[in-house]
Amino acid sequence: MLKGITRLVSKAYKLDSGRFLNTGTQASQSTAVYLNNQIQVESPRAISRTSESDPAKHGEQHEGQYYSIPLQDLKTVFPHGLPPRYVMQVKTFGEACFMVRKPALELLHYLKNTNFAHPAVRYLLYGEKGTGKTLSLCHVTHFCAKHDWLILHIPDAHLWIKNCRELLQSTFNKQRFDQPLEASTWLKNFKTTNERFLSQIKVQEKYVWNKRESTEKGSPLRDIVEQGITRVRNATDAVGIVMKELKRQSSSGMFHLLVAVDGINALWGRTTLKREDKSPIAPEELALVHNLRKMVRNDWNGGAIVLTLSQTGSLFKPRKAYMPHELLEKLLQKKGRRSCCF
Amino acid sequence: MAAPALRAAPGWSGLSLGALRAVWRLPGLSQVRWSRYGPEFRDPLTDKEHYRRPEAELTEEEKHEQELKKTQPIKAAPSTKTSSVFADPVISKFTNMMMRRGNKVLARSLMNQTLEAVKRKQFEKYHAASAEERAAIERNPYVIFHRALKNCEPVIGLVPILRGGHFYQVPAPIADRRRRFLAMKWMITECREKKHRRTLMPEKLSHELLEAFNNQGPVIKRKHDMHKMAEANRALAHYRWW
Repeated sequence: MLKGITRLVSKAYKLDSGRFLNTGTQASQSTAVYLNNQIQVESPRAISRTSESDPAKHGEQHEGQYYSIPLQDLKTVFPHGLPPRYVMQVKTFGEACFMVRKPALELLHYLKNTNFAHPAVRYLLYGEKGTGKTLSLCHVTHFCAKHDWLILHIPDAHLWIKNCRELLQSTFNKQRFDQPLEASTWLKNFKTTNERFLSQIKVQEKYVWNKRESTEKGSPLRDIVEQGITRVRNATDAVGIVMKELKRQSSSGMFHLLVAVDGINALWGRTTLKREDKSPIAPEELALVHNLRKMVRNDWNGGAIVLTLSQTGSLFKPRKAYMPHELLEKLLQKKGRRSCCF
Repeated sequence: MAAPALRAAPGWSGLSLGALRAVWRLPGLSQVRWSRYGPEFRDPLTDKEHYRRPEAELTEEEKHEQELKKTQPIKAAPSTKTSSVFADPVISKFTNMMMRRGNKVLARSLMNQTLEAVKRKQFEKYHAASAEERAAIERNPYVIFHRALKNCEPVIGLVPILRGGHFYQVPAPIADRRRRFLAMKWMITECREKKHRRTLMPEKLSHELLEAFNNQGPVIKRKHDMHKMAEANRALAHYRWW
C-alpha cells in the first residue's frame, strides 16, 4: 500500500530531469508522527518511523519503516559510504534515516548466522535504479559496525576507474598503474572507521618503501596506513598491503571482516583512462582494482563479502541494464560458464 | 501573436498581414522571425476550468464562440504552455531570460537547482533556529522568489528625452511589465557579472534571492540608486509630455 502511494506522490511532484520539488507547507512537518511498529497512518504524507535504532533487532514487523541513526555514529561508520545526495539531505534535515527493506533483513539474517570457519560467502545486491541497493548495503554495514566487525567499505568502485587526474607507474609492479589521490582518500576514511583495530592488528612481514623507509614485522597496521596517508606516492601500495594483511589474518579469530563494495561491476568493465600514447587501460592494469579483485575472492574465512551492482556510475552500459548478466557481462564471458567464479 | 505584430508596425495599419505576406512572397527573400500563421488562426486556450464548465452555465456569447471554434483553425500551443498547477508565469519568464542560445533545458535545470538551494538554506536555518524564530522563517521557495522580485521592482524610472540636441534622463512612471522586466534583468545581470568566475549560477542566484527577500543586497541597492537618480533629476520632470 505504501509503495503505491509513494509512487503516486512521486509521479505528482516530478518535474524534469528527475528532480523533485516539494511545494510543501508547514502542515506536512506537524503530521510526521513518531510511531511504534504496528500502526499505519492513513495520510500519505506521514512516513512511518520506528523507534528501533539497533539494526540487530530489526525484523519483519519493521519492514517499510524508517529508523534513524545518531549523527555521531554517522561520522565514524560512514565517512565515505553514503551517496552524495543523501549526505546533502542529512545536512539539510539534520537526521539520517534508513528504510528497512526486505533484502536487507534477509542479508542481516544470513550475517547473524555466519559460520566463520567456512570461506566468506559473497552476497550480491542487484535491482533497478532507485530501489535501495546502496542504502541496504549501508544498513548492513551499520549492523556490522555495531557488532564490532572490521569494515572494509569501498563506497563506489566506479570512482576508481574514471576521471583519474594522476596515474603513476606502480613502484611495486612495472605493468600496473597507481592512483595516489583515490588511495589516500580511501585510507583516511578507512582509518576513521576502524581506529580501534589498527593498533591491535600486527603486520606479519617486513615492507620496504624506499631506501630510507621501511615497516618492520610486528608493527601495528596503523603504521602502514599512516605511511600511505603521508607519502601519497606509496598510498596504492599501502592499500594493497592493508588488504593482504587483513585477508591473511581474518581467519585468526581476532576480528570479523566485512568487505562491502558498491558498484562491483566496475572491476570487470572498461575504464576511460588512457596511457600517454592514448591506448586504453584495462581495469586489471590498475593496482587498486587488482588488489580489490583479490579481496573479493572467497579464499579466506572469518567474515562476509557484500557487493552491489550499479548502473548509475558505470561506463559504456545502457541505462536500463540492471541484471547481473547484463552488467557483469565481461566476467561471465571470460569464464565461459553460466555461473561466475572469480 | 498576430495582435502585437500589427501594433508594432503602425505604418502598415491599412494592410492586413495576409496582404503583407502576398507582397513579400518574392523569390530569393525569406521571412525570419515573423509568425507563419495567417490572421485567421486563433490563439490556444489551455485553461482547464474554462472547459469543465457545464453547458447550462455558458452565456449566449460563449456558446457562439464555441461554435466558431469548431470551424476556425487554432495555432499550436508552444511546448512551454501548460495547464499544470505547478506552472508559474513568473518562473517561466525568468527561466526564458536566463536562457542562452536557446538552451531551455539548461536554463530550466538551473532554475530548479536554484529553488532547491533556496529551500535547503531555509530548512537549515529553520532547524538551527529556536521555537520562537521558526514561525518567522519562510521555507516555500516560490514565495521567496516572488517576494524577492517584488522587492527589486523600481517605483519610478528614468526615460531619455531629446531636448536641444542633448538627451536628458527624465523621471517618469513605468508600466508594470517594464518594472517586472527590470527586476529580473538586474537580478540576472548581477549574478552573471559581479560574481567570482568559479561560483555556479544556482549558488549565486539563491544567495541573491534570499538577500533581496530581506531587502538587502546589491539588486536592492541598484533599485535605490535608480530612485535617487530620479529624485536628483526631479527638476527635469516637466520635459515629459505624457
